[in-house]
Amino acid sequence: MKGETAAMNTLRVRVVSDGSAAAAVSDSQRQEAQKSRKPRRRTKYKRENFFEFLCVVPAVFLIVLLNHYPLMELVRYSLTDWNMLKKTYKYVGLENWKWFFTTMDTNHILNSFKVTVIYTVAHLAVIILVGLMCALLLNRMTKSFAFMRSVIFMPHYIAMSSVAIIFIWLTNENYGVFNYILKLLGFGPVPWLSSSSMAIWTLVMVASWRGIGYNMLIYLSAMQGISRDYYEAAELDGASKVSVFRYITLPLLAPTTAFLLVTQFISSMKVYNIVDIMTSGGPSHSTEVLVYMLYQMTFEDYRIDRASVVAIVFFLFLMVVTALTMKWQDRKVNYDA
Amino acid sequence: MEAKKRLVSPDARRARIMRWLQTLGAVLVTLIMVFPLYWMLVTSLKTEAEVLTLTPTFWPESLQWSNYVFAWNSVDFLRFMFNTLYVTFWNLLIQTVVGVLAAYGFARGRFPCKNLLFLLVLSAMMIPSQVTFIPIYVMIANLGWVDTFAGLILPGTVSAYMIFMLRNNFMSVDQSYLDAGRVDGLGILGTIWYVLIPMCRASVITTSLVSFINGWNNYFWPKILSKSDETRLISVALVKMKNMWEGLAGSGFYNTVMAGVAISIIPVVLVFAFNQKYMLKGYSKNAMK
Repeated sequence: MKGETAAMNTLRVRVVSDGSAAAAVSDSQRQEAQKSRKPRRRTKYKRENFFEFLCVVPAVFLIVLLNHYPLMELVRYSLTDWNMLKKTYKYVGLENWKWFFTTMDTNHILNSFKVTVIYTVAHLAVIILVGLMCALLLNRMTKSFAFMRSVIFMPHYIAMSSVAIIFIWLTNENYGVFNYILKLLGFGPVPWLSSSSMAIWTLVMVASWRGIGYNMLIYLSAMQGISRDYYEAAELDGASKVSVFRYITLPLLAPTTAFLLVTQFISSMKVYNIVDIMTSGGPSHSTEVLVYMLYQMTFEDYRIDRASVVAIVFFLFLMVVTALTMKWQDRKVNYDA
Repeated sequence: MEAKKRLVSPDARRARIMRWLQTLGAVLVTLIMVFPLYWMLVTSLKTEAEVLTLTPTFWPESLQWSNYVFAWNSVDFLRFMFNTLYVTFWNLLIQTVVGVLAAYGFARGRFPCKNLLFLLVLSAMMIPSQVTFIPIYVMIANLGWVDTFAGLILPGTVSAYMIFMLRNNFMSVDQSYLDAGRVDGLGILGTIWYVLIPMCRASVITTSLVSFINGWNNYFWPKILSKSDETRLISVALVKMKNMWEGLAGSGFYNTVMAGVAISIIPVVLVFAFNQKYMLKGYSKNAMK
């Protein structure tokens, strides 16, 4: 058995290395095989497909239970007056929605939206630009560069909670090394986390430190996929390095940029851990992002009904921006390479 | 001499300078990126007095390995790490079994509503748990699972991302291999286990490893769901430990806190170091789809 699998593995490698041609062959083979076998053993296929349906059932059940069902429950909660301390609740119609739209600015909800969006835009700008720059800088296929790449990537798999604790120490105002280095360079101490105008940028810095390596990796693997022919043609035409980057590398990386924009947008809108550990939303609500606010509303105020409204609006916002980005991607980024 | 010098054209010389500049830049970036981790290690090996100087030293005067022992004993580290490992293990096991079966079903099956069900799976990737945590918490509370391992495990039992990745990979396997397995007398499950999984070994391993690291680093659910030390996971425990020391002794105990953080990072770094090839591929692969 073991020998057979090994043999299949080597076969498999050969098939894969042939790429698209092999895939085309296997596709037509499969269709042919299916066609020729269909009439012969119909009952057996029926039974097998029922088994395959059974395979899918647990996953679909869990996915719906943990994603779609809660989403519908949120809508239901938003129509009640449910306080988590009470066992019972009654339906109050659109009361909570009215509360949401009338007191949006006095309840720091609007502020939360603003803080989250500022954080997200700054974070995205830093990780994508610096990630791209790192990718260009480290794009050399030697052992020492591979080592440096994995060092830069390392923060990505360290827990955000550990990262936050490390940076709380680094940004300590009296004994922290950041302020010490700034002092050596002739700058005054920076109130990293205690000033309401600075704290959000500190959070962006910390999250970006963790995110740059991932973006670099994605860009690098996309760069490896760009055909050498383009660069050779550009060299023959005597193009400068800058214009090679501007007119070849950058446009060909556009799909990658779009992918990073969409995925990183969603994941940085969900920011919670770093805020909870480093600032607890302060000073004076300046870092109170949406998820942190949701958490507070649910587990400090116990107002599930109102939190549900905020959660639904948050979700809709994510959906709309994602859809718009994807539409933009379809229109602009279709660069047949 | 003269002639030899001229052989190096100005172009080549400029290219060489550019190469040196690139190396220099890369080294500089690497040093900046690694500095916080270096500082964590250095701080964890300092004495309390050295931590509290206004002119920090970049290398400890004497290496205080006892800080690690102290951090290890100051809170119940072993239990927290075991708890995390336990929850992560079950998450990974259920996620992989459910994921492989579903990926097989979606890749190979032909049954009514298949596309609709698959769309349901895909759409789950767009629903973040930071939006749906309220009803899930209520659900877990109704089951009486708050502050139990079952509650901690439940939110991570399925990964739409894993199903999606594995399904794509399973679809690229030629049907004739599966047929060969069946002809040789394997059942369907046997074919999946002995033929399909070995052939897609790389993607099964990478998606599992990514799941493992995400599980180990998870903070959001443990923070919501564990209330006592019995079920506390490492990420939340570290923050609690930091707050405890800060409350007791101010900034002076950052050597102990940093030692604790270093201990908690070790398993992840080990997993990554031994599977670097798979991991890097796993992280970069999703961008190519």
